Amino acid sequence: MLSDSGNYVRREGAIFAGVDWWTVWIYLALVLFGIISIYASIYNEHSHSIFALSQKSGSQMMWAGISIVLGVVILLVDSKYYHYIAYQAYAATILLLLLTFVFGRTINGAHSWISFGPVSVQPVEFAKLTTALALGKYMGGYGFNIARMKSLSRVGLIVGLPALIVCAQNDTGSAMVFSSFLFMLCREGFTAWVYLVLGMIMFLSVSSFFVEPAALYVVIFLIVVAIETHYNGMMKQKVIYVASVIMAMLVIFFVGLVFGRFLSMMNAFMLALTATLPLVAVYAVRHKLRNVVVFVIFFIASLMFVTSVDYVFDNVLRPHQQHRILDLLGLENDVKGAGYNVNQSKIAIGSGGVLGKGFLQGTQTKFDFVPEQSTDFIFSTVGEEWGFVGSIAVLALFVALIFRVMRMGDRQRDTFGRVYCYGVAGVFFFHVLVNIGMTIGLIPVIGIPLPFFSYGGSSLVAFSMMLFIAIRLNCNAQYQNWQ
Amino acid sequence: MELSRGNSLRIFVVLVAMVIAGRLFYLQIIDSKYKEYANNNALRPIVLNPPRGEIYDRNGLFLAQSREAYDLMVIPRDVKPFDTLEMCRIIGVEKEEFVHQLKRAGRSSRRPVVLFKLLDKEVKMKFEEHTFPGFFTQYRTIRSYPFHTGGNILGYVGEVNDNTIKNDSYYKRGDYVGMTGIERAYETVLRGRKGVRMELVDVHGMPKGAYADGLYDTLAVPGVSITSTIDARLQLLGEELMEGKVGSIVAIEPKTGEILMMVSSPTYNPDELIGRDRSRNYLKLLREPRRPLYNRAVMASYPPGSTFKLSTGLIGLQEGVLVPSQRYVCNSGYYVGRGVKCHYHDSPLDLRYSIQTSCNTYYCYVFRNILDNKAYGDVKVGFDVWRDYLLSMGFGRRLDSDFSGELKGNLPTTEFYDRVYNGRWNSLTAISLSIGQGEIGVTPLQLANFTATIANRGYYKIPHIIKSIEGGQIDSRFSVPNYTNIDPKHYQVIAEGMYRAVNVEGTAVRAAVKGLDICGKTGTAENGRGRDHSTFACFAPYKDPKIAMSVYVEHGGFGATVAMPIASLLMEQYLTDTITRPELVEYVKRMIIDYPQYDK
Repeated sequence: MLSDSGNYVRREGAIFAGVDWWTVWIYLALVLFGIISIYASIYNEHSHSIFALSQKSGSQMMWAGISIVLGVVILLVDSKYYHYIAYQAYAATILLLLLTFVFGRTINGAHSWISFGPVSVQPVEFAKLTTALALGKYMGGYGFNIARMKSLSRVGLIVGLPALIVCAQNDTGSAMVFSSFLFMLCREGFTAWVYLVLGMIMFLSVSSFFVEPAALYVVIFLIVVAIETHYNGMMKQKVIYVASVIMAMLVIFFVGLVFGRFLSMMNAFMLALTATLPLVAVYAVRHKLRNVVVFVIFFIASLMFVTSVDYVFDNVLRPHQQHRILDLLGLENDVKGAGYNVNQSKIAIGSGGVLGKGFLQGTQTKFDFVPEQSTDFIFSTVGEEWGFVGSIAVLALFVALIFRVMRMGDRQRDTFGRVYCYGVAGVFFFHVLVNIGMTIGLIPVIGIPLPFFSYGGSSLVAFSMMLFIAIRLNCNAQYQNWQ
Repeated sequence: MELSRGNSLRIFVVLVAMVIAGRLFYLQIIDSKYKEYANNNALRPIVLNPPRGEIYDRNGLFLAQSREAYDLMVIPRDVKPFDTLEMCRIIGVEKEEFVHQLKRAGRSSRRPVVLFKLLDKEVKMKFEEHTFPGFFTQYRTIRSYPFHTGGNILGYVGEVNDNTIKNDSYYKRGDYVGMTGIERAYETVLRGRKGVRMELVDVHGMPKGAYADGLYDTLAVPGVSITSTIDARLQLLGEELMEGKVGSIVAIEPKTGEILMMVSSPTYNPDELIGRDRSRNYLKLLREPRRPLYNRAVMASYPPGSTFKLSTGLIGLQEGVLVPSQRYVCNSGYYVGRGVKCHYHDSPLDLRYSIQTSCNTYYCYVFRNILDNKAYGDVKVGFDVWRDYLLSMGFGRRLDSDFSGELKGNLPTTEFYDRVYNGRWNSLTAISLSIGQGEIGVTPLQLANFTATIANRGYYKIPHIIKSIEGGQIDSRFSVPNYTNIDPKHYQVIAEGMYRAVNVEGTAVRAAVKGLDICGKTGTAENGRGRDHSTFACFAPYKDPKIAMSVYVEHGGFGATVAMPIASLLMEQYLTDTITRPELVEYVKRMIIDYPQYDK
C-alpha cells in the first residue's frame, strides 16, 4: 500500500506523496461505472459511440477529465491554503447562490442554475464543499466549544444559510443535504440527545402509520426505559419497575371489570403508568438522578408526537406529499401518478435478478421506461443490467469510500481537517442513502444525484473536488506524521 | 465497552448499507413479480392466428372453408390528414361511423387499434391503392360456406364471449370460436393453435425488434381439416324439398351411425353469420317467427305417431305377449276406456299386416298386454318395463352424439302419471302411447336412429357427424354397436312389415322405387297445435340397408302425403344418385303448408 508506506512517501517527496491510492482507485471505478451506466441509460439502436461528446456519456467523460485535472491541481496546492481560503470560498458560493435569484435558470422546477456561456452550473453542489471548509475552519478555531450554545448557533448559521437559500430556490432535496453535517457533528461530540430525539422522531413517524397507538405507547415506554438504563444502569430496578407497571395494569383492568367498565389496553396502561409514578419519583430521589425528569419529559413528548403525526399528515402536508408518503409506506399504490417513477425504477432493478441482464441488454433501461434515468435514477441502470451482484458492488464501493474518508478524518492532526473529512463523508453518505433508497422505494423521492454516477458536470466536479481536497489534507497528515 | 463516536458512525453506515442490501436482495432475488412487470412493460406478444381447419362432406366437397380477411388497423399518433370520404367509400361505412370509431381509438396512442373488422380482400386491395398514413390492414382468416346452407349442422363462428374467456384461458378477447354445430363440437380440432411472436416495445409502444432473437416465438399451427359424414348433395336436395315447410330430416348410415343428412327447416345460410353483418343478421334470424336458429333435428320433441307402433310391436315380441302370427280383430277402433279410433282395413289381422295398414287397435291390445302382464302384477311395474325397453332403443335420453345441443325428447314416467292422475291410473289411461300419441316426444334424430336399429336388425351405432379427422381419430364410442334390450331375432318381422307396407300393400306404397326395396312406416301425429304432423320412418334396401331416415313435416297432415314422397326422393337420390320422378319433386315443392302457429 503506497499511501501507508511512510518510507516511500518520505523518500519520494513528490506531488503524489502520501496520496491515498485506495480512495483514488475507488473514485475512478465509480466514475467509470457511472459513465458506462449513463451510456446504457441513453442507449438505443441509433446511439453513437460512448465517447461522442454530443451524448450525455461523452459529455460526462469530458467532465470526468476536467475533474481529474482539477484533482491533480488540488493535490499540487498546499493544504494550508484550503484552511486559509475557507471563509472566502464560502462567501463566494453564498454570493453565487444569491445570484441565481437574479441570473438563475429554472430546470426541473428548481431555480438553482446559473449559466456561464454554454455551461450551466448548480452553485449548490459547490456550496456543500465550501460549507464543509467553513465549518472546519470555524470549529477548528479558538474558542469553539461544541457544548456551548453560542458556538452551536454559529455552526447552525453556517449550515443554515446556504440551506435556506437553496430551499427558497425550490430545491428542497439539495437543502436537505445540509442536514448531513449532523454526521460530522456526531464525531465532534455533539450531544447524543439530538440523535436520540431525531431517531425517535423518524421511528415514530413511520411506525405511527402501521402500529396501533396502544402498542406503540408500550413500545415507546420500553424504549425510554432502555435508554434510561443505558445512561444510569441499575437494571434490577428497571425490571421491578416494568413488572410493577404490568401488575398495575392487570389490577386496574380487573377492578374496571368489577365495576362493569371494560377498559381498553391503552387506558389501563396509562392509568398504570400514573399509578406507578411514585415509584419513579422514589427511584430518582433515592439515587439522586436528576436526568430521570428528562426521560419522563422525553416519554411524554414522544406520546404527544405520535398523536400529532396524524394531525400533521392530514392538515399540514400537501396532497402530493401525502401521496408520496403513503406510496412509500406501501399503504397506497398509485403507479400511474405519484409512484410512477419509483415503480418503474423498482421494476428495472427487480427484473435484474442475480447477475443482471448484461450491458446494454436492459429492456427497461434501453426502452426508456424509467424517467430521469441518467440523472436521479441512474442506479436503476446498474440494478437492471448488472443485477444484485453489480448493485452490491456499487454499494460496497461507496461504503468503502466513506470509510476511507472517515479514516482520513481520524488521521488529521487538527480539527479543521477532521471536521472537513467527516463533513465530506456525511455528505456522501446522505447522497448515497437517499438516492439509492429512493430508487428502491425505501425513501421518498428526493431529487439528489448519486455521487460520481449521476449525469451532470456540476455535481461530478464538485464531488471530485470535495474528495480530492480530503485526499490532499490526508497527504499532509501523512507527511506531518513522519516529520 | 464504550464505542468511540467514529466507530458508532461506522456501525451506523454499515447498518444502513445492510438495509439497502437487504432491500436489493428482496427486489432482485426473492420477489419475482418485478420480472413479470418488466416483461409486461417491454414485451408485446403478437398473436398469429392460424387458419381454421376446413370441413369436407363425405365425398370431399367443401362444406366450410377459411378465406383471408383483413382488419383495418390504425396507429392514432401516426395519422396525418387524409381524405375521409374516400376512405369511407373504400371500406363502405358512413362518415359518422368512421369518425366515431376513429375518435374511440384515441389520439396519442402509438399502439395499433382495430378500427373495422373483417374486411374483404377486395376492400384491402382497393385500400392499398391509396396511401393513408397511420392506417394499415392485418391478416386474419374468416369462414365461408360454399353451399350457403346447413347453418344448423355446420354452425357458425363468432367472437368469444366473456364467459368462454373466463373458463378457457386459450381464448382472448376478439378471438373467434365455433358457436354451434360442427364448428362448436369440433372447435378444439378446427381452431389449430395460435402462435405468438414476442416483440420488444419501448415506453411509447414503438416496436423495437424481436425478443431474444425469436427464441420464445411459436408458429401458428393451422387447424386440422375434418371430413364430415354429411352428403352435401343429399343435404342440398333435402333442404330444397323442405323449403317452405317446417320440420326436419335426419338420415343415418345404419352400419356406421354416420349422419348422412340433417335438415332443420327453415334453415339459414351460415355465411350470414360471419363478417361485419353478423350481429345484425343474427338478430334478424333470432326474430324470425319460424325460428331458423332452432335445430329441430336434435332439439324438437315431436309425438312420433304411428312410427312408434314398431317399438310397441318389438316390446310385445320380446316380452312374449305377442307372436308375429297373433291376430286381433279391428272394427275401426279399440273401444275400451276412452277408446282409440282406427281407419278401415281388412280384419282380423296379424303383426305384419298391422304394420302395413298401421292399425291402431292392434297396438292397443299389444300395449295393454305389456303393461298388464300378470307376471308383473302391477301396471306401474309393467310401465317401467316398457319404458326401459324404449330407453334402450334411444328414446327419452340423449344419444350422446357429437352434436352439441342434443335434447332428450320426452318419455313419461310412472311418477308423471301418478302426479296427473293422483296415482289412480291403468294401462287404458296411457293407451295412446301405444301408437305414439299423448305425452311422448321424440326427436327426429332419435326416430332416425331407431329406424337404423331396425335396418341393422337389432343394434345401432351412436349417430355422429364426423367421419374422420386429418391425422386423428374419432371417438371410439361411435364404432361400438349398441344392442337394445330386444333380441335381434324379433327385428326381422318388423322389417318385413315395413317392407310390405311399401312394396306389397299398405299405407306407404307410393314410396316404392323399383329395385330399391325401400321399407317404411308412415306416421300422422296428432298434436295440440293444429293439423297433424306428417312423418315417415324408412330404410333401404331391405337387405343390407345403406340408409335409414326419419322425415318430419310439421302440420303436414298424413304421413303418406308429405313426409313419404320427400323420403322416397331422398332415398332414390342417395342410393342411385338420380331422380327419376321430377314430377314428384315438383309436387313436393309446390306443396303449400300454412303455419298459423308461427306466422302471424
